Amino acid sequence: MTIGDARIRVPAKIQQGDIIAVGAIVQHPMDTGFFRSADGQPIPAYFIKDVTVTYAGRQVAHFMWTSGISRDPVVTFTLVADREGPLTMRWVDSKGAVFEQTAQIAFSTT
Amino acid sequence: MSRIPEAPQRREFLKQGLALGLAVAAGQTVHPGQLFGSALDPDPEVPNEQVAQILKSLFGDRPIRRGQVTLDMPVVAEDGRVVPVIIEAPALPMTTTNYVKAVHLIVDHNPDPYLAAFDVTPAMGRLSLQFRIKMKRTTWVRAIVETNTGEVWADYARVSVSLNGCG
Repeated sequence: MTIGDARIRVPAKIQQGDIIAVGAIVQHPMDTGFFRSADGQPIPAYFIKDVTVTYAGRQVAHFMWTSGISRDPVVTFTLVADREGPLTMRWVDSKGAVFEQTAQIAFSTT
Repeated sequence: MSRIPEAPQRREFLKQGLALGLAVAAGQTVHPGQLFGSALDPDPEVPNEQVAQILKSLFGDRPIRRGQVTLDMPVVAEDGRVVPVIIEAPALPMTTTNYVKAVHLIVDHNPDPYLAAFDVTPAMGRLSLQFRIKMKRTTWVRAIVETNTGEVWADYARVSVSLNGCG
């Protein structure tokens, strides 16, 4: 497991206009800075602080997080699937590292 | 000193004791409103200056009304490192002219109480957010949403935490 590995889950079948649930997870320690390692060294704070969600070129959501979000952050939100296109999520952590993942929103023909 | 004034004092003392006893008894039972988030329950008191400052900087003097939004959390969180949160506002519109623009989560007794903020848009269709948080100890949690028209709606959950998740 690597920091920044991310997955986005969208429904298998989407009809145009559906309100879909989007689930996402990113691997991250989300260290608070309040813990110490086994050898007594303080573990500095290190966490995802900013998440943006872009759908077919428009930013549709922006989350501002702290180390109070649990390790390997998950988030589920809704989205109106009104057009086909990429759904991209971008996570930025407190060291400035950027992680990205994209899922395609496509309408099923059946 | 006459004995006459003492009688009412004693009566008052007994009454206060009785009231206190009832309050303690009530405090030990789970009030139905705590389980179902009745709008009739009083809002949780602002516990300290830090939370007061957060609320003031976010909402100024706008009234924070209970309603329209629901905060679902476990009554008891066994592990404070992973406590599920569901925030929904099915009755609030998400149209281009009338929508929820932001959701704030405040955990009163966490080291950093203003835990997360979510800027949302009408493109989301309706407000429904799920995520997981860390909690240090038993406390009130506040989910507060802001609409584009400036309304502020809140729901509160008191969560008992068995294992400190914040170190």
